[in-house]
Amino acid sequence: MEGSERSEASAKWLDAHYDPVANLYTFSSCVALADLHGDGENKLIVGDLGTGQSNMKLKVYKGTTMLSENTLIDLPTGVVAFLMDTNEPRTPAVAVASGPYIYIYKNLRPYFKFTLPPLEVNPLEQDIWHQVKEDKIDHLTLKEMLESFRDKGDMPLSARSLRYLMLEPHEMEAFVNVHKMQTIKRQTVITCMATLNKNMADDDAVGCLVIGTENMEVCILDPEAFTVQAKLNLPSVAVFMDVTGQFDVEFRIIVACRNGNIYIIRRDSKRPKQCVELNSQPVGLVRLNRSIVVGCGKEMLHAYTQKGKKLWTIRLPAPITTMSLMDHKAKGFQAVLVALANSEVHLYKDKILINVTKTQGASNEAMLFYSVWNSYCPIHYGGGLIIKILKRTAVFEDKDTSPGPPLAQSIKLSIPKKTKLYVDQTLRERENAVAMHRAFQMDLYRLRLRAAREYAKALEASMAPVSADLQEPLKMNAVVQGIGPVFKLTLNVQNTSATRPAINLYVSFLYDEHLYSVKRAFFKVPMLVPGLTYPIVTFVESLSDRGASDTIKVFVLATGRRAPILTAHIHMPVSEGPVLA
Amino acid sequence: MGLFDKLAGWLGLKKKEVHVLCLGLDNSGKTTIINCLKPSNSQVQDIVPTIGFSIENFKTSGLSFTVFDMSGQGRYRNLWEHYYKEGQAIIFVVDSSDKLRMVVAKEELDTLLNHPDIKHRRIPILFFANKMDLKDALSSVKVSQMLCLENIKDKAWHICASNAIKGEGLQEGVDWLQDQIKAMKV
Repeated sequence: MEGSERSEASAKWLDAHYDPVANLYTFSSCVALADLHGDGENKLIVGDLGTGQSNMKLKVYKGTTMLSENTLIDLPTGVVAFLMDTNEPRTPAVAVASGPYIYIYKNLRPYFKFTLPPLEVNPLEQDIWHQVKEDKIDHLTLKEMLESFRDKGDMPLSARSLRYLMLEPHEMEAFVNVHKMQTIKRQTVITCMATLNKNMADDDAVGCLVIGTENMEVCILDPEAFTVQAKLNLPSVAVFMDVTGQFDVEFRIIVACRNGNIYIIRRDSKRPKQCVELNSQPVGLVRLNRSIVVGCGKEMLHAYTQKGKKLWTIRLPAPITTMSLMDHKAKGFQAVLVALANSEVHLYKDKILINVTKTQGASNEAMLFYSVWNSYCPIHYGGGLIIKILKRTAVFEDKDTSPGPPLAQSIKLSIPKKTKLYVDQTLRERENAVAMHRAFQMDLYRLRLRAAREYAKALEASMAPVSADLQEPLKMNAVVQGIGPVFKLTLNVQNTSATRPAINLYVSFLYDEHLYSVKRAFFKVPMLVPGLTYPIVTFVESLSDRGASDTIKVFVLATGRRAPILTAHIHMPVSEGPVLA
Repeated sequence: MGLFDKLAGWLGLKKKEVHVLCLGLDNSGKTTIINCLKPSNSQVQDIVPTIGFSIENFKTSGLSFTVFDMSGQGRYRNLWEHYYKEGQAIIFVVDSSDKLRMVVAKEELDTLLNHPDIKHRRIPILFFANKMDLKDALSSVKVSQMLCLENIKDKAWHICASNAIKGEGLQEGVDWLQDQIKAMKV
């Protein structure tokens, strides 16, 4: 079964390359593929996150070899290749978004750095810092004022003020002295990036960058002048984006946001018209023909129309790590590649699972990426690079390859067999049913009577370790530890009432004085707070040198009452002291 | 027979005609190799990606070759099998600097060898590990390993490292091919 599955999977994909030590740490948003030199050969562009703090690199692969490596200053959040101009040859530029900047590379050399326009600063905040600069107010007043602005919250504070408010009191003055001379500004950060063709539908048309920012906006940039051409407001921060159409004619931006909603924006509207509410956070967004396929947490894959109507939902066997579109232009075939945490890559065409591939190596997470090489490159969590190429002859059938009913259905239930003994017994029951019933009922009456008698007796003597009194609900158990001659006796007393504490309780031990000596045979219990268990410890010494053992009785008493509330009988173990001695 | 052939060749009567298929992935150098084998006065300067296929002729000392220079682009590769019947020999060109698509070349070679028109005929296959001048090129031994050529048991094959721009290694391959075809005729 497994062998045939494997051969079928390998019948579709060729294992072109496997490098387990490629050392790539990235996400699918930071991977792009483009013909950077205009020589007809696509290069794989990877924005490598390095360790997360250092060693961020922009790596370019040609085939299996690394062509170039550029150091990045900050963590990349998106890498996109796009055509900036109509110059020949048509070599695309690479845009790397990190922080509030977009670094543009042409011919793999730094070419331009775009900075997002700074945001408006709260005028009151600006005023305060101005006063600090002129030494009119000290840093404690500054702190109070900033806190009041923050709590009023009509405009967020700048990064510097927030950093200041975080500091310990003794660090504040030094911080103010260092920073007060600089003008104060508020920056936002890019969260995702995509491209939008400017005025032609072709693949090699000039593209505009579309960026989602941390201050809940989507900006469309002009490809040549790098000015903000259009700005759209969102109710939340964009994390995944899909863009179709042309900027000058008609476009549609599908944005998955951090609040778990998907918004669909058209050209003529400044605010989203349609909204899809997901039941969990989106982890991937792919547009397949006319539907939007969204991978969610809780191992779900949903599809919606572009109007926001739900089409279908699939439950997956493992959480989704990343998603990508497989667009085989030559065959006119589009499908969604979904990488799962169990290192499988599923291929869905609409709601039909048409192919499953297992990536080799112990990858528990894969970034993947489909391209015009007819290949996809999962990049391991461990940093390895895999390239698989689709076979020319591979045909995906529109047939569901997901397995049928679960295996459990074909397992027979384990019903025990009946022997002759059982048959004889049923015969006997059939013959003597009346006598059996009467005898049993009689025994049951007796049993009830005896049980009630014993219960009444125990209640009278307060023998039970759980108090029957509704006024003083208490619970006690006793534990004996040790092998003797000295034992540790722990009483766990608990007040089980909802709100009433138990006060003025005493504990007393009753024992044979020839056999045992208890250090404190009578003492007061502290006030018992409801719900807590109080361990009360005493030490019991066995005096007998012949290894005799007896029962010790423990009573919990209350002042003004003769009968104990609780009683516990502790069967003391045989002291092994004399034997050991 | 050999003597007669030589005599016929010397008299310039008629060289034996052989149909050869030139296969390989796109951008591996098939057209460049064929161009380099042609007499210098009929060589072309600019070589562009082949569309569909083209038919070329060249002569060696003993044979006259008619080569079907097939396009190697993905969408034209299904044309190959229509010409398998006519082929009396195969030249398979591999870009030895393209490690990534070596598996694709192997896949195409496997489908070629398993095709009913090829499978049971003992036709010689000449491999060119082309572009050996590039700095990240694999050696011909490595290429033959990656293509698993040692598994071809029932056909005569030979692999040459070549540089089709300068023409290095081509003559050796064609000489081998000529010997094989002559041996086959006998």
